[in-house]
Amino acid sequence: MLTPMLGEIGGNIQVGLCGLGSAIGVGLVGMKASEAVGRNPGAFGKVIVLAVLGMALAEAIVFYALFIKPIG
Amino acid sequence: MGVPETQRPDPMSLMKSILAALILFAAPACLPAAQQAQPPDAANRAAESVASQGAPAEHGIPSKAQPLGREAGFVTNSMLVTWTVALGLIFFARYATRRIQEVPAGAQNFWEWLVEGLYEFLEGIIGRDLVKKTFWFFATIFIFILFTNWFGLIPGVGTIGWGIRSEHGFEITRPLLRGGNADLNMTFAMASIFTVLWLIWALRSNGIRGFALHIFGPKGESSGFIKYMMVVIFFFVGFLELISIAFRPVSLSFRLYGNIFAGENLLEAMSNVVQHPAWAKAVFSVLLPVPFYFLELLVGLVQAFVFMLLTTVFTALICTHDEEHAQEHH
Repeated sequence: MLTPMLGEIGGNIQVGLCGLGSAIGVGLVGMKASEAVGRNPGAFGKVIVLAVLGMALAEAIVFYALFIKPIG
Repeated sequence: MGVPETQRPDPMSLMKSILAALILFAAPACLPAAQQAQPPDAANRAAESVASQGAPAEHGIPSKAQPLGREAGFVTNSMLVTWTVALGLIFFARYATRRIQEVPAGAQNFWEWLVEGLYEFLEGIIGRDLVKKTFWFFATIFIFILFTNWFGLIPGVGTIGWGIRSEHGFEITRPLLRGGNADLNMTFAMASIFTVLWLIWALRSNGIRGFALHIFGPKGESSGFIKYMMVVIFFFVGFLELISIAFRPVSLSFRLYGNIFAGENLLEAMSNVVQHPAWAKAVFSVLLPVPFYFLELLVGLVQAFVFMLLTTVFTALICTHDEEHAQEHH
């Protein structure tokens, strides 16, 4: 009974998990960046540079899962 | 910065402009075979699942760039876009600096604002000496990637070209112009050029022995038996660091490619969501992508910025080792 149920899920579990992790990572970086700017509004320039960098590195994981496929 | 007193050509700046033009023109032609990472049917299936809202003949955007000629040729439509953008940038820059004025206005003002802003920003990150050597590359990468990304959003790019006539109307299978960075060859070429330049800068600022010491050598102070253990540990850590350094061009190229290609796919999917009432299809295929166009404007800017920032940080990590020693002697 489990197999037909699993057959309904469809899609790609690998890509799904990578997307989940990547999105949570980006959200965490954004949360901490907003917190830092809230505590010290004058540091907006430096915080946003670090935040954009962190978000780009976290977001790239999902592109590895989407576009790198095993050969054969 | 200001008006140069004489106009005699400086050999150093001539070599730099030749190098910059070489990079802009040779980057897309560098690696035409770097397509092993994505079999087209797998990527098309991913694209289909995005765009399959009830359009049976829609397959999303093909993941590879198509050649311009009728048979498999060397020049692809993404290469045409990169050449167009490069030529446009060169002509715009030349036009803006025909007659340099003391108080800039118009196009010259725009270029001065852009270049000076980037210079000060990068000087804050990697320090004055390093930015003098390397600013030409980072600024070129940022400006080129930014305008290539934005060029792919112009109406007509990706929708004008050769196609087949099917029952759903005329379908474009080979557009004349396709987003420049939506081609893995282009982004991988840029990342490879950065890797070569990174090696050159690292070796030039550290020397071969200093370079090996930077990666494999022990850091920090320790004495006695602990020191020997640290040497062994840092030696093995050096191999891990080599793996992470070798992965950087892959991650740089896939990040840019994934963002821009996914954005193009998203726009195409959004304009194909509503299919059935013909009037609704006509209206919503224009209205629905509008917020996503703004998203793609932002993504294009952020990805260019991130590419430049990451390459800057990678260079700073390997090259500022001797800066610390230089400052210690003050």
